[in-house]
Amino acid sequence: MVATVLKLRYRALFNTLARRPWQLVGFIFGALWGLGILASVTAGIISLSIFGSLDAAAGVSILGGSALILGWVVAPIVATGMDTSIDARRLAPFPFTRRQTMLALAGTGITGIPGVVTTLVALISVILWLRWPLAALAGIPAALIGVAICVVASRLVGELSGGMGGNRRGRELIGTIVLVVIMLSGPLITGILALLDGGTGSLGDRFGAAAAVLPWTPLGAAWGVAPALAAGEGVLALARVAIALATLAVLGWAWSRAVDRSTSAPPRQSSRQVAAGKLGLFGVMPTGGVGATWARSLNAWLRDPRYLRQLLVVPIFPILFAFIGGVDGFGFAASPVLVAFMLAIGGYADISYDGTAYATVLATGIRGRDDRLGRLLGAASLGIPLVVIVSIVSCVLSGDAGRLSLVLGASLGVLLVGYGVSAVTSAMIIAPVAAPGDSPFKSVPGQTFVSGLLVFVVWAVIGVLSLPVLVIAVTGMVQGPAGWGLATLAVGLIVGCGAAVLGVFLGGRTFDRSGPELFDRIRSLPTT
Amino acid sequence: MSEQQSVPALHLSGLVKQFGSTPAVAGIDLVVPSGSFYGLVGPNGAGKTTTLSMATGLLRPDAGGAWVHGIDVWRDPVAAKRVIGNLSDGIRLFDRLTGEQLITYTAMMFGLPRPEIAPRVSDLLDLMDLRPAAGTIVADYSAGMTKKVALACALVHAPRLLVLDEPFESVDPVSAANIEDVLRGYTASGGSVIVSSHSMDLVQRMCDHVAVIAAGRVLAAGTVDEVRAGQTLQDRFVELVGGRHTSEGPQWLRQS
Repeated sequence: MVATVLKLRYRALFNTLARRPWQLVGFIFGALWGLGILASVTAGIISLSIFGSLDAAAGVSILGGSALILGWVVAPIVATGMDTSIDARRLAPFPFTRRQTMLALAGTGITGIPGVVTTLVALISVILWLRWPLAALAGIPAALIGVAICVVASRLVGELSGGMGGNRRGRELIGTIVLVVIMLSGPLITGILALLDGGTGSLGDRFGAAAAVLPWTPLGAAWGVAPALAAGEGVLALARVAIALATLAVLGWAWSRAVDRSTSAPPRQSSRQVAAGKLGLFGVMPTGGVGATWARSLNAWLRDPRYLRQLLVVPIFPILFAFIGGVDGFGFAASPVLVAFMLAIGGYADISYDGTAYATVLATGIRGRDDRLGRLLGAASLGIPLVVIVSIVSCVLSGDAGRLSLVLGASLGVLLVGYGVSAVTSAMIIAPVAAPGDSPFKSVPGQTFVSGLLVFVVWAVIGVLSLPVLVIAVTGMVQGPAGWGLATLAVGLIVGCGAAVLGVFLGGRTFDRSGPELFDRIRSLPTT
Repeated sequence: MSEQQSVPALHLSGLVKQFGSTPAVAGIDLVVPSGSFYGLVGPNGAGKTTTLSMATGLLRPDAGGAWVHGIDVWRDPVAAKRVIGNLSDGIRLFDRLTGEQLITYTAMMFGLPRPEIAPRVSDLLDLMDLRPAAGTIVADYSAGMTKKVALACALVHAPRLLVLDEPFESVDPVSAANIEDVLRGYTASGGSVIVSSHSMDLVQRMCDHVAVIAAGRVLAAGTVDEVRAGQTLQDRFVELVGGRHTSEGPQWLRQS
């Protein structure tokens, strides 16, 4: 029975790949990437086992193993679309016992590519203990317990977040928060560590401290067994085995409860209700194609997590540069321009985000330039104020307000040029993106490879077109803002507005010509 | 005026569409007279949705043409789409909007004057029994409610031709009867409807014309009485399309 489910899963994967060559290319690159990681990890482990001390081996094993479990726990939240081909609810109609269902689900978890790689890495890590035969012998079952914890914890979290899927907004909110945390994890970890040891210890000391604590937690217990044995501490090892097994038992119990719940009571959709008559932006914007598209686009920028995700760069770039180079550095001063760069590309494949709902746009017979202008205004209603705010804040913080016109000119110029370019590209490029309501972080297999390349092309075009502004801005940066500031602002606005108008005009013509073909391409996109 | 009458609401001529090597539509000619209630029936995969997509400017045909009230859909799509109300099957709506916002958005897209929009949206909400769900986002609607809000969007700009792909699928019987009344009133006042459906009873009851298509070709077309030739539409359809089995099912499925 379990074997049937496993076969089914691979059948589904192969069928998808066979139908979509580009997805296959992406899949192959993903697999190669996985193999590369596996190879380098193996090489690292072998060299460590030969040249490293016991402490180093213990630290690597415990920290790496804990990170592995953490990754498995976070993955289902970050990528809700991870492996929905088989979950408890889909197996519910079949006459399986709960045990069989759980075995089938755990089996699909282990035999997936992440599962196989994890198992291999865990077993390869036993090489670390070859110098201590007893530790190596015990290391194998301990590593397998660790892998089991990975899979069961991940399934439990997946089942729970799927259960919260009844509350769509809750799931979207969690996903967005997790992304913010991940993107800011660098500064956050530095901050937490600095708090812990008062900022005195070296990075190595900090890791050492973590490696001492983690084996007593569910994350590190399984990976701490072999190091304890290698150090000759049998009781310690036994205690850690107990913790690991207890973790597995508790997770397994919680998971079986969750499976029971999701097979017998599938989550209900909870709905959000606003008072009738509350039209929001649709009551404000002027009627007509431009106004309607403007309202819809701005609505998406304010509410749709897939758009909101792109706004995260606004605080992140300045914060990152402030951490790296301080508020006096060039990076922090230039960060508003980078923010503009990132925001400008937000709509480079805007129509893809419509999904097949684009048919309703097409069916109204809207003029191309109206559609382009509406989308541009929607993005700009949020983008321009944000860029202006970031420029002002960064100039004030760095104590150099005289630079404001320079920074403002460069970033607004780049932003508007980018909007102009996006107005053309979004009438040409259809990229596979997460469907509305899916996790915004869900990556469509094969997506990253092709559309990643396209993003760079679009960026290059924006960069070239905004060269006049950037050259003046850099000159002003070098020679001092006096005189150059206003020139940058003027050139930025003129070039930017020119590019935006031209983009709306050219993009509109492309849209008029190839609207139905765009719809055809959206429909033939992979949906999973 | 008499010349106006003779221009059909929808005229399809020699429409052809290939997907890869499989022909989805292999030369369809159809005339939907002005003021008629036209049914389009056919088995799964017959090419109904493909045909209607080409008729409404959503899918460019490989060959052939489509005219709506004399306007060439593929020469002047903007003018043609102004007079078409379109309900497509199997596409998403902008389901992050509430039902009321979605209908308002569609009205704005057609450039209706602001003072006319609110009363029309209100009428449509009542008509589709969607008043209690007006403030709920469309993603949280049931299948039938989604169909009804899409139908409301197709009606909001008072088109001259309604193209409805499976409009009654999963709509409850009470709402379906209400919508049926509205559509009858609409055709009685000169509007034209072409509707695809799998329900032969519904087509026989509602429509005055019908076309049977299969494998991308028209098998029979005309008034309902002409096409069914004295039989029920159901029997005539099965006779035209074929493929009916008469067995009682496999032995293993029988309970005694």
